[in-house]
Amino acid sequence: MGVEKTQIVIPARSNRWKVSATSVCGSSHEKLGTPCQDASFWSIQENDIFIAAVADGAGSATHSDMGAQLASRTAVETLQAEPDLESRLHNNPNTFKTILTTALKAALSAVKKEAKTQGIKPRELASTLIVVIATPQVVATAQIGDGAAIIQTQDNDLIALTTPDSGEYINQTTFLISPGALKTAQLHIWHGKPTHVALFSDGLQMLALQMPFGKPHAPFFTPLFKFISAAGETASVQLTSFLQSPRVKERTDDDLTLLLAALMDDTHETENQI
Amino acid sequence: MSEEPKLEEIEFAENPEPRCPCVLLLDTSSSMSGSAINALNQGLQTFKDSLTQDDLASRRVEIAIVTFDSKVNVVQDFVTADQYEPTSLSAGGATAMGTAIVTGLDMVQNRKTQYRENGITYYRPWIFMITDGEPQGEAKEIIDQAAQRIKTEEENKSSAFFAVGVEGANMDKLQAIAARAPVKLNGLNFGEMFVWLSASMQRVSHSKVEEQVDLPPLGWGTV
Repeated sequence: MGVEKTQIVIPARSNRWKVSATSVCGSSHEKLGTPCQDASFWSIQENDIFIAAVADGAGSATHSDMGAQLASRTAVETLQAEPDLESRLHNNPNTFKTILTTALKAALSAVKKEAKTQGIKPRELASTLIVVIATPQVVATAQIGDGAAIIQTQDNDLIALTTPDSGEYINQTTFLISPGALKTAQLHIWHGKPTHVALFSDGLQMLALQMPFGKPHAPFFTPLFKFISAAGETASVQLTSFLQSPRVKERTDDDLTLLLAALMDDTHETENQI
Repeated sequence: MSEEPKLEEIEFAENPEPRCPCVLLLDTSSSMSGSAINALNQGLQTFKDSLTQDDLASRRVEIAIVTFDSKVNVVQDFVTADQYEPTSLSAGGATAMGTAIVTGLDMVQNRKTQYRENGITYYRPWIFMITDGEPQGEAKEIIDQAAQRIKTEEENKSSAFFAVGVEGANMDKLQAIAARAPVKLNGLNFGEMFVWLSASMQRVSHSKVEEQVDLPPLGWGTV
Protein backbone atom coordinates (compact mmCIF):
# COMPACT_ATOMS: atom_id res chain seq x y z
CA MET A 1 0.00 0.00 0.00
CA GLY A 2 1.44 3.32 -1.05
CA VAL A 3 1.69 6.03 1.54
CA GLU A 4 2.28 9.58 0.64
CA LYS A 5 2.80 12.29 3.16
CA THR A 6 3.26 15.96 2.67
CA GLN A 7 4.52 17.58 5.79
CA ILE A 8 6.55 20.67 6.16
CA VAL A 9 7.84 22.55 9.13
CA ILE A 10 7.82 26.30 9.28
CA PRO A 11 9.74 27.44 12.36
CA ALA A 12 7.54 29.55 14.60
CA ARG A 13 8.60 31.19 17.78
CA SER A 14 5.72 30.15 19.95
CA ASN A 15 3.74 27.44 18.33
CA ARG A 16 0.64 25.90 19.81
CA TRP A 17 -0.57 23.88 16.82
CA LYS A 18 0.05 20.17 16.66
CA VAL A 19 -0.54 18.80 13.18
CA SER A 20 -0.54 15.48 11.42
CA ALA A 21 -1.46 14.88 7.80
CA THR A 22 -1.68 11.39 6.34
CA SER A 23 -2.68 10.14 2.92
CA VAL A 24 -3.00 6.49 2.02
CA CYS A 25 -3.66 5.00 -1.37
CA GLY A 26 -7.03 3.30 -1.81
CA SER A 27 -7.32 -0.37 -2.69
CA SER A 28 -9.16 0.42 -5.94
CA HIS A 29 -6.24 2.61 -7.01
CA GLU A 30 -3.84 -0.19 -6.21
CA LYS A 31 -5.91 -2.54 -8.34
CA LEU A 32 -5.92 -0.16 -11.28
CA GLY A 33 -2.29 0.81 -10.74
CA THR A 34 -3.08 4.52 -10.41
CA PRO A 35 -1.07 6.65 -8.00
CA CYS A 36 -2.48 8.18 -4.82
CA GLN A 37 -4.32 11.21 -6.10
CA ASP A 38 -4.87 12.94 -2.76
CA ALA A 39 -2.58 15.66 -1.52
CA SER A 40 -2.30 17.86 1.53
CA PHE A 41 -0.14 20.79 2.47
CA TRP A 42 0.06 22.87 5.62
CA SER A 43 1.99 25.57 7.32
CA ILE A 44 2.09 27.38 10.65
CA GLN A 45 2.69 31.10 10.66
CA GLU A 46 3.59 33.43 13.47
CA ASN A 47 0.87 34.18 16.02
CA ASP A 48 -0.49 30.65 15.80
CA ILE A 49 -1.99 30.98 12.36
CA PHE A 50 -2.50 27.58 10.86
CA ILE A 51 -3.05 27.27 7.12
CA ALA A 52 -3.85 23.97 5.44
CA ALA A 53 -5.26 22.52 2.24
CA VAL A 54 -6.41 19.09 1.11
CA ALA A 55 -7.06 18.22 -2.54
CA ASP A 56 -8.45 15.02 -4.03
CA GLY A 57 -7.51 14.33 -7.62
CA ALA A 58 -10.19 13.07 -10.01
CA GLY A 59 -9.90 9.34 -10.66
CA SER A 60 -10.56 9.84 -14.36
CA ALA A 61 -7.89 12.50 -14.89
CA THR A 62 -4.45 11.41 -16.05
CA HIS A 63 -2.41 13.92 -14.01
CA SER A 64 -4.74 14.54 -11.08
CA ASP A 65 -2.10 13.54 -8.52
CA MET A 66 -0.01 16.44 -9.79
CA GLY A 67 -3.06 18.71 -9.96
CA ALA A 68 -3.98 17.95 -6.35
CA GLN A 69 -0.48 18.67 -5.12
CA LEU A 70 -0.22 21.87 -7.09
CA ALA A 71 -3.63 23.14 -5.99
CA SER A 72 -3.11 22.44 -2.28
CA ARG A 73 0.42 23.83 -2.26
CA THR A 74 -0.48 26.98 -4.18
CA ALA A 75 -3.48 27.70 -1.94
CA VAL A 76 -1.35 27.44 1.21
CA GLU A 77 1.52 29.48 -0.23
CA THR A 78 -0.85 32.20 -1.40
CA LEU A 79 -2.32 32.52 2.08
CA GLN A 80 1.15 32.50 3.65
CA ALA A 81 1.87 35.65 1.66
CA GLU A 82 -1.26 37.44 2.91
CA PRO A 83 -0.47 40.03 5.60
CA ASP A 84 -2.31 40.38 8.96
CA LEU A 85 -4.50 37.38 8.34
CA GLU A 86 -5.92 37.06 11.82
CA SER A 87 -6.91 40.68 12.35
CA ARG A 88 -8.34 41.02 8.85
CA LEU A 89 -10.41 37.86 9.27
CA HIS A 90 -11.51 38.73 12.77
CA ASN A 91 -12.33 42.40 12.38
CA ASN A 92 -13.93 42.75 9.01
CA PRO A 93 -16.95 40.53 8.30
CA ASN A 94 -16.37 40.42 4.56
CA THR A 95 -12.64 40.04 4.07
CA PHE A 96 -12.66 36.29 4.57
CA LYS A 97 -14.41 35.78 1.25
CA THR A 98 -11.86 37.89 -0.56
CA ILE A 99 -8.94 36.21 1.15
CA LEU A 100 -10.19 32.68 0.54
CA THR A 101 -11.18 33.42 -3.05
CA THR A 102 -7.68 34.75 -3.69
CA ALA A 103 -6.28 31.39 -2.63
CA LEU A 104 -8.73 29.44 -4.80
CA LYS A 105 -8.06 31.66 -7.81
CA ALA A 106 -4.31 31.31 -7.38
CA ALA A 107 -4.68 27.52 -7.21
CA LEU A 108 -6.81 27.52 -10.34
CA SER A 109 -4.37 29.69 -12.30
CA ALA A 110 -1.47 27.51 -11.20
CA VAL A 111 -3.29 24.41 -12.42
CA LYS A 112 -4.22 26.02 -15.75
CA LYS A 113 -0.67 27.25 -16.25
CA GLU A 114 0.72 23.80 -15.50
CA ALA A 115 -1.70 22.25 -17.99
CA LYS A 116 -0.45 24.67 -20.63
CA THR A 117 3.18 23.90 -19.83
CA GLN A 118 2.50 20.18 -20.09
CA GLY A 119 0.38 20.56 -23.20
CA ILE A 120 -2.61 18.83 -21.63
CA LYS A 121 -6.16 19.86 -20.90
CA PRO A 122 -6.79 21.42 -17.46
CA ARG A 123 -9.29 18.63 -16.75
CA GLU A 124 -6.39 16.16 -16.66
CA LEU A 125 -5.29 18.02 -13.51
CA ALA A 126 -8.77 18.00 -11.95
CA SER A 127 -9.02 17.93 -8.18
CA THR A 128 -11.24 19.12 -5.37
CA LEU A 129 -9.81 21.68 -2.94
CA ILE A 130 -10.43 22.39 0.74
CA VAL A 131 -8.60 25.28 2.37
CA VAL A 132 -8.56 26.35 6.02
CA ILE A 133 -7.11 29.26 7.99
CA ALA A 134 -7.36 28.65 11.73
CA THR A 135 -6.22 30.99 14.50
CA PRO A 136 -7.03 31.13 18.22
CA GLN A 137 -9.77 33.63 17.36
CA VAL A 138 -11.27 32.54 14.08
CA VAL A 139 -11.50 29.74 11.51
CA ALA A 140 -12.18 30.40 7.81
CA THR A 141 -12.71 27.67 5.22
CA ALA A 142 -13.23 27.34 1.50
CA GLN A 143 -14.21 24.21 -0.37
CA ILE A 144 -14.80 23.16 -3.94
CA GLY A 145 -16.11 19.62 -4.35
CA ASP A 146 -16.44 16.87 -1.78
CA GLY A 147 -14.68 16.07 1.49
CA ALA A 148 -15.22 18.41 4.45
CA ALA A 149 -13.70 20.67 7.09
CA ILE A 150 -14.67 20.05 10.71
CA ILE A 151 -13.80 21.90 13.91
CA GLN A 152 -14.24 21.12 17.56
CA THR A 153 -15.09 24.00 19.88
CA GLN A 154 -14.09 24.67 23.49
CA ASP A 155 -17.45 23.15 24.49
CA ASN A 156 -16.58 19.95 22.61
CA ASP A 157 -19.14 20.66 19.91
CA LEU A 158 -18.32 19.37 16.47
CA ILE A 159 -19.15 21.73 13.64
CA ALA A 160 -18.94 21.00 9.93
CA LEU A 161 -17.79 24.26 8.35
CA THR A 162 -18.19 22.75 4.91
CA THR A 163 -20.07 19.73 3.63
CA PRO A 164 -19.44 17.44 0.66
CA ASP A 165 -20.74 18.92 -2.56
CA SER A 166 -22.04 16.13 -4.73
CA GLY A 167 -24.82 16.02 -7.28
CA GLU A 168 -27.71 13.56 -7.22
CA TYR A 169 -25.23 10.72 -7.55
CA ILE A 170 -22.51 10.05 -5.03
CA ASN A 171 -19.81 9.86 -7.70
CA GLN A 172 -20.50 13.33 -9.06
CA THR A 173 -18.68 16.33 -7.71
CA THR A 174 -17.29 19.71 -8.69
CA PHE A 175 -13.59 20.14 -9.37
CA LEU A 176 -11.46 23.27 -9.17
CA ILE A 177 -11.22 23.30 -12.97
CA SER A 178 -14.96 22.67 -13.52
CA PRO A 179 -16.68 25.56 -15.31
CA GLY A 180 -17.97 28.07 -12.75
CA ALA A 181 -16.39 26.13 -9.86
CA LEU A 182 -15.33 29.27 -7.98
CA LYS A 183 -18.95 30.36 -7.83
CA THR A 184 -19.93 27.07 -6.20
CA ALA A 185 -17.22 27.37 -3.54
CA GLN A 186 -18.43 27.08 0.04
CA LEU A 187 -16.92 29.95 1.99
CA HIS A 188 -17.43 30.02 5.75
CA ILE A 189 -16.12 31.81 8.77
CA TRP A 190 -16.52 30.79 12.39
CA HIS A 191 -15.56 33.14 15.19
CA GLY A 192 -14.18 31.62 18.34
CA LYS A 193 -11.32 29.50 19.59
CA PRO A 194 -11.22 26.04 18.06
CA THR A 195 -9.60 23.17 19.92
CA HIS A 196 -9.25 21.03 16.82
CA VAL A 197 -9.49 21.19 13.06
CA ALA A 198 -9.88 18.27 10.65
CA LEU A 199 -9.82 18.25 6.86
CA PHE A 200 -10.46 15.07 4.95
CA SER A 201 -11.02 13.86 1.42
CA ASP A 202 -14.23 12.15 0.33
CA GLY A 203 -12.82 8.66 0.88
CA LEU A 204 -13.52 9.13 4.60
CA GLN A 205 -17.01 10.60 4.22
CA MET A 206 -18.73 7.29 4.92
CA LEU A 207 -16.98 7.03 8.28
CA ALA A 208 -16.64 10.65 9.31
CA LEU A 209 -20.02 12.09 8.41
CA GLN A 210 -23.61 11.08 8.75
CA MET A 211 -24.35 11.03 5.05
CA PRO A 212 -26.01 12.53 3.14
CA PHE A 213 -26.56 15.23 5.76
CA GLY A 214 -22.88 15.94 6.32
CA LYS A 215 -23.13 16.02 10.11
CA PRO A 216 -19.83 15.16 11.83
CA HIS A 217 -19.85 11.71 13.37
CA ALA A 218 -18.75 12.10 17.00
CA PRO A 219 -17.58 8.47 17.42
CA PHE A 220 -15.14 9.15 14.61
CA PHE A 221 -13.80 12.57 15.59
CA THR A 222 -13.81 12.44 19.39
CA PRO A 223 -11.15 9.71 19.66
CA LEU A 224 -9.12 11.14 16.79
CA PHE A 225 -9.03 14.61 18.32
CA LYS A 226 -8.10 13.18 21.73
CA PHE A 227 -5.41 11.21 20.00
CA ILE A 228 -3.85 14.16 18.20
CA SER A 229 -3.84 16.29 21.37
CA ALA A 230 -1.96 13.61 23.27
CA ALA A 231 0.05 12.24 20.35
CA GLY A 232 3.78 11.77 20.41
CA GLU A 233 6.34 10.78 17.82
CA THR A 234 4.51 7.72 16.56
CA ALA A 235 1.29 9.62 15.71
CA SER A 236 1.87 9.54 11.97
CA VAL A 237 2.59 5.83 11.96
CA GLN A 238 -0.49 5.17 14.06
CA LEU A 239 -2.73 7.28 11.85
CA THR A 240 -1.42 5.57 8.75
CA SER A 241 -2.10 2.14 10.19
CA PHE A 242 -5.58 3.28 11.27
CA LEU A 243 -6.35 4.44 7.72
CA GLN A 244 -5.02 1.15 6.37
CA SER A 245 -6.85 -1.02 8.90
CA PRO A 246 -9.50 -3.51 7.76
CA ARG A 247 -12.26 -1.62 9.59
CA VAL A 248 -11.56 1.45 7.47
CA LYS A 249 -10.79 -0.44 4.28
CA GLU A 250 -13.98 -2.45 4.40
CA ARG A 251 -15.93 0.80 4.14
CA THR A 252 -14.00 2.48 1.37
CA ASP A 253 -11.58 1.67 -1.42
CA ASP A 254 -10.73 5.26 -2.28
CA ASP A 255 -7.61 7.27 -1.49
CA LEU A 256 -7.86 8.68 2.01
CA THR A 257 -6.46 11.87 3.42
CA LEU A 258 -6.90 12.97 7.00
CA LEU A 259 -5.35 16.15 8.28
CA LEU A 260 -5.73 16.70 12.02
CA ALA A 261 -4.68 19.76 14.00
CA ALA A 262 -4.97 20.52 17.70
CA LEU A 263 -4.59 23.97 19.22
CA MET A 264 -2.82 23.35 22.52
CA ASP A 265 -3.17 25.46 25.65
CA ASP A 266 -0.64 28.25 26.14
CA THR A 267 1.19 26.24 28.77
CA HIS A 268 2.01 23.46 26.30
CA GLU A 269 4.82 24.58 24.11
CA THR A 270 4.95 21.89 21.47
CA GLU A 271 6.74 20.55 18.46
CA ASN A 272 4.35 21.03 15.56
CA GLN A 273 5.78 18.20 13.49
CA ILE A 274 4.59 14.86 14.75
CA MET B 1 -46.70 -3.93 -5.09
CA SER B 2 -48.09 -3.89 -1.55
CA GLU B 3 -48.71 -0.68 0.34
CA GLU B 4 -48.01 -2.25 3.72
CA PRO B 5 -45.24 -0.69 5.77
CA LYS B 6 -41.94 -2.33 5.03
CA LEU B 7 -39.65 -3.34 7.80
CA GLU B 8 -37.04 -4.11 5.18
CA GLU B 9 -35.95 -0.50 5.24
CA ILE B 10 -33.88 -1.42 8.29
CA GLU B 11 -31.49 -2.88 5.72
CA PHE B 12 -30.21 0.67 5.25
CA ALA B 13 -29.13 0.82 8.91
CA GLU B 14 -27.34 -2.52 8.61
CA ASN B 15 -25.74 -1.56 5.34
CA PRO B 16 -25.35 2.21 4.90
CA GLU B 17 -23.11 1.85 1.81
CA PRO B 18 -24.02 3.94 -1.22
CA ARG B 19 -26.15 1.93 -3.62
CA CYS B 20 -25.67 1.19 -7.26
CA PRO B 21 -29.04 -0.11 -8.53
CA CYS B 22 -29.25 -2.40 -11.56
CA VAL B 23 -32.54 -3.65 -12.99
CA LEU B 24 -32.47 -6.61 -15.36
CA LEU B 25 -35.42 -6.75 -17.76
CA LEU B 26 -35.42 -10.31 -19.08
CA ASP B 27 -37.42 -11.61 -22.02
CA THR B 28 -39.04 -14.92 -21.02
CA SER B 29 -41.34 -15.22 -24.04
CA SER B 30 -41.75 -18.63 -25.68
CA SER B 31 -38.96 -18.06 -28.22
CA MET B 32 -36.48 -17.93 -25.33
CA SER B 33 -37.32 -21.47 -24.20
CA GLY B 34 -34.76 -24.22 -24.42
CA SER B 35 -31.06 -23.46 -24.62
CA ALA B 36 -31.51 -19.66 -24.45
CA ILE B 37 -33.31 -19.63 -21.10
CA ASN B 38 -30.86 -22.21 -19.72
CA ALA B 39 -27.92 -20.06 -20.74
CA LEU B 40 -29.62 -17.01 -19.24
CA ASN B 41 -30.19 -18.83 -15.92
CA GLN B 42 -26.54 -19.84 -15.80
CA GLY B 43 -25.62 -16.25 -16.66
CA LEU B 44 -27.52 -14.94 -13.64
CA GLN B 45 -25.55 -17.23 -11.36
CA THR B 46 -22.34 -15.98 -12.99
CA PHE B 47 -23.51 -12.40 -12.34
CA LYS B 48 -24.03 -13.09 -8.65
CA ASP B 49 -20.74 -14.99 -8.28
CA SER B 50 -18.80 -12.33 -10.08
CA LEU B 51 -20.23 -9.44 -8.06
CA THR B 52 -19.76 -11.14 -4.72
CA GLN B 53 -16.06 -11.63 -5.36
CA ASP B 54 -15.79 -7.91 -4.70
CA ASP B 55 -16.69 -7.06 -1.09
CA LEU B 56 -17.73 -3.48 -1.70
CA ALA B 57 -19.63 -4.23 -4.90
CA SER B 58 -21.53 -7.02 -3.17
CA ARG B 59 -22.84 -4.51 -0.64
CA ARG B 60 -23.31 -1.61 -3.06
CA VAL B 61 -24.73 -3.13 -6.23
CA GLU B 62 -28.43 -3.82 -5.95
CA ILE B 63 -30.10 -6.23 -8.34
CA ALA B 64 -33.77 -6.28 -9.33
CA ILE B 65 -35.17 -8.66 -11.91
CA VAL B 66 -38.25 -8.15 -14.04
CA THR B 67 -39.28 -10.82 -16.54
CA PHE B 68 -41.64 -10.19 -19.42
CA ASP B 69 -43.65 -12.65 -21.46
CA SER B 70 -47.43 -12.29 -21.79
CA LYS B 71 -47.25 -10.41 -18.52
CA VAL B 72 -44.66 -8.62 -16.48
CA ASN B 73 -43.35 -10.15 -13.26
CA VAL B 74 -41.09 -8.59 -10.68
CA VAL B 75 -39.31 -11.82 -9.77
CA GLN B 76 -36.76 -10.03 -7.62
CA ASP B 77 -37.17 -6.63 -5.98
CA PHE B 78 -33.97 -4.70 -5.19
CA VAL B 79 -31.48 -6.64 -3.09
CA THR B 80 -27.76 -6.15 -2.69
CA ALA B 81 -25.68 -8.69 -4.60
CA ASP B 82 -24.69 -10.52 -1.41
CA GLN B 83 -28.40 -11.16 -0.66
CA TYR B 84 -29.38 -12.13 -4.19
CA GLU B 85 -30.21 -15.78 -4.86
CA PRO B 86 -30.88 -16.48 -8.53
CA THR B 87 -34.05 -18.46 -9.19
CA SER B 88 -34.55 -20.53 -12.30
CA LEU B 89 -36.61 -18.73 -14.94
CA SER B 90 -38.80 -20.49 -17.47
CA ALA B 91 -40.06 -19.20 -20.80
CA GLY B 92 -43.45 -19.05 -22.51
CA GLY B 93 -45.93 -16.51 -23.91
CA ALA B 94 -45.82 -13.17 -25.75
CA THR B 95 -43.43 -10.21 -25.26
CA ALA B 96 -44.80 -7.40 -23.06
CA MET B 97 -41.60 -5.39 -23.46
CA GLY B 98 -43.09 -1.89 -23.23
CA THR B 99 -44.84 -2.62 -19.94
CA ALA B 100 -41.65 -4.17 -18.58
CA ILE B 101 -39.63 -1.08 -19.47
CA VAL B 102 -42.09 1.23 -17.73
CA THR B 103 -42.13 -1.12 -14.71
CA GLY B 104 -38.34 -1.09 -14.53
CA LEU B 105 -38.12 2.69 -14.81
CA ASP B 106 -40.79 3.12 -12.12
CA MET B 107 -38.96 0.72 -9.81
CA VAL B 108 -35.81 2.75 -10.17
CA GLN B 109 -37.58 6.01 -9.35
CA ASN B 110 -39.25 4.47 -6.29
CA ARG B 111 -35.97 3.02 -5.14
CA LYS B 112 -34.31 6.42 -5.38
CA THR B 113 -37.07 7.87 -3.19
CA GLN B 114 -36.42 5.13 -0.64
CA TYR B 115 -32.70 5.89 -0.69
CA ARG B 116 -33.33 9.57 -0.12
CA GLU B 117 -35.83 8.95 2.68
CA ASN B 118 -33.31 6.72 4.41
CA GLY B 119 -30.31 8.97 3.89
CA ILE B 120 -28.59 6.59 1.49
CA THR B 121 -26.43 8.02 -1.26
CA TYR B 122 -26.47 6.34 -4.65
CA TYR B 123 -25.05 6.05 -8.13
CA ARG B 124 -26.86 6.42 -11.41
CA PRO B 125 -29.15 3.41 -11.88
CA TRP B 126 -28.70 1.01 -14.77
CA ILE B 127 -31.48 -0.81 -16.60
CA PHE B 128 -30.30 -3.70 -18.67
CA MET B 129 -32.79 -5.34 -21.03
CA ILE B 130 -32.21 -8.67 -22.76
CA THR B 131 -34.56 -9.88 -25.51
CA ASP B 132 -34.57 -12.19 -28.49
CA GLY B 133 -37.53 -10.58 -30.19
CA GLU B 134 -39.57 -7.41 -30.24
CA PRO B 135 -42.65 -6.12 -28.40
CA GLN B 136 -45.57 -8.43 -29.02
CA GLY B 137 -49.14 -8.38 -27.79
CA GLU B 138 -48.98 -4.77 -26.60
CA ALA B 139 -50.63 -1.58 -27.84
CA LYS B 140 -48.33 0.71 -29.82
CA GLU B 141 -48.93 3.53 -27.32
CA ILE B 142 -47.37 1.49 -24.53
CA ILE B 143 -44.22 0.92 -26.57
CA ASP B 144 -44.06 4.57 -27.65
CA GLN B 145 -44.51 5.65 -24.06
CA ALA B 146 -41.70 3.32 -22.95
CA ALA B 147 -39.36 4.66 -25.64
CA GLN B 148 -40.19 8.24 -24.69
CA ARG B 149 -39.53 7.52 -21.00
CA ILE B 150 -36.12 6.03 -21.83
CA LYS B 151 -35.26 9.06 -23.94
CA THR B 152 -36.29 11.54 -21.22
CA GLU B 153 -34.49 9.66 -18.46
CA GLU B 154 -31.30 9.39 -20.50
CA GLU B 155 -31.43 13.13 -21.16
CA ASN B 156 -31.99 13.91 -17.47
CA LYS B 157 -29.37 11.32 -16.51
CA SER B 158 -32.03 9.74 -14.27
CA SER B 159 -31.00 6.29 -15.37
CA ALA B 160 -28.97 4.56 -18.06
CA PHE B 161 -30.77 2.09 -20.31
CA PHE B 162 -28.97 -0.68 -22.20
CA ALA B 163 -30.58 -3.12 -24.62
CA VAL B 164 -29.06 -6.46 -25.61
CA GLY B 165 -30.44 -8.47 -28.52
CA VAL B 166 -30.08 -12.24 -28.56
CA GLU B 167 -30.10 -14.04 -31.95
CA GLY B 168 -33.49 -13.36 -33.53
CA ALA B 169 -33.99 -9.98 -31.87
CA ASN B 170 -35.31 -7.15 -34.00
CA MET B 171 -32.28 -4.87 -33.64
CA ASP B 172 -33.91 -2.03 -35.60
CA LYS B 173 -36.84 -2.07 -33.22
CA LEU B 174 -34.50 -2.11 -30.22
CA GLN B 175 -32.61 0.80 -31.70
CA ALA B 176 -35.86 2.72 -31.97
CA ILE B 177 -36.82 2.00 -28.35
CA ALA B 178 -33.48 2.47 -26.58
CA ALA B 179 -31.67 5.79 -26.80
CA ARG B 180 -28.28 4.04 -26.81
CA ALA B 181 -27.23 1.68 -29.56
CA PRO B 182 -28.33 -1.89 -28.71
CA VAL B 183 -25.71 -4.61 -28.46
CA LYS B 184 -26.05 -7.89 -30.35
CA LEU B 185 -25.07 -10.84 -28.18
CA ASN B 186 -22.66 -13.34 -29.74
CA GLY B 187 -24.53 -16.65 -29.72
CA LEU B 188 -25.72 -17.40 -26.20
CA ASN B 189 -22.70 -15.90 -24.50
CA PHE B 190 -24.62 -14.75 -21.43
CA GLY B 191 -21.77 -15.83 -19.17
CA GLU B 192 -19.33 -13.35 -20.62
CA MET B 193 -22.01 -10.68 -20.86
CA PHE B 194 -22.77 -10.95 -17.14
CA VAL B 195 -19.08 -10.92 -16.24
CA TRP B 196 -18.87 -7.67 -18.21
CA LEU B 197 -21.98 -6.28 -16.50
CA SER B 198 -20.54 -7.19 -13.13
CA ALA B 199 -17.21 -5.53 -13.98
CA SER B 200 -19.05 -2.44 -15.19
CA MET B 201 -21.14 -2.24 -12.03
CA GLN B 202 -18.00 -2.65 -9.96
CA ARG B 203 -16.38 0.21 -11.79
CA VAL B 204 -19.42 2.40 -11.33
CA SER B 205 -19.76 1.48 -7.66
CA HIS B 206 -16.11 2.33 -7.05
CA SER B 207 -16.08 5.48 -9.08
CA LYS B 208 -15.86 9.04 -8.04
CA VAL B 209 -15.37 10.43 -11.45
CA GLU B 210 -17.78 13.18 -12.41
CA GLU B 211 -20.22 11.01 -14.29
CA GLN B 212 -18.21 9.41 -17.02
CA VAL B 213 -17.10 5.88 -16.25
CA ASP B 214 -15.04 4.05 -18.84
CA LEU B 215 -16.66 0.68 -19.31
CA PRO B 216 -14.72 -2.49 -20.01
CA PRO B 217 -14.55 -3.48 -23.69
CA LEU B 218 -17.46 -5.50 -25.06
CA GLY B 219 -16.05 -8.95 -25.67
CA TRP B 220 -19.42 -10.64 -25.84
CA GLY B 221 -21.31 -8.75 -28.50
CA THR B 222 -21.30 -6.08 -31.14
CA VAL B 223 -22.90 -2.68 -31.32
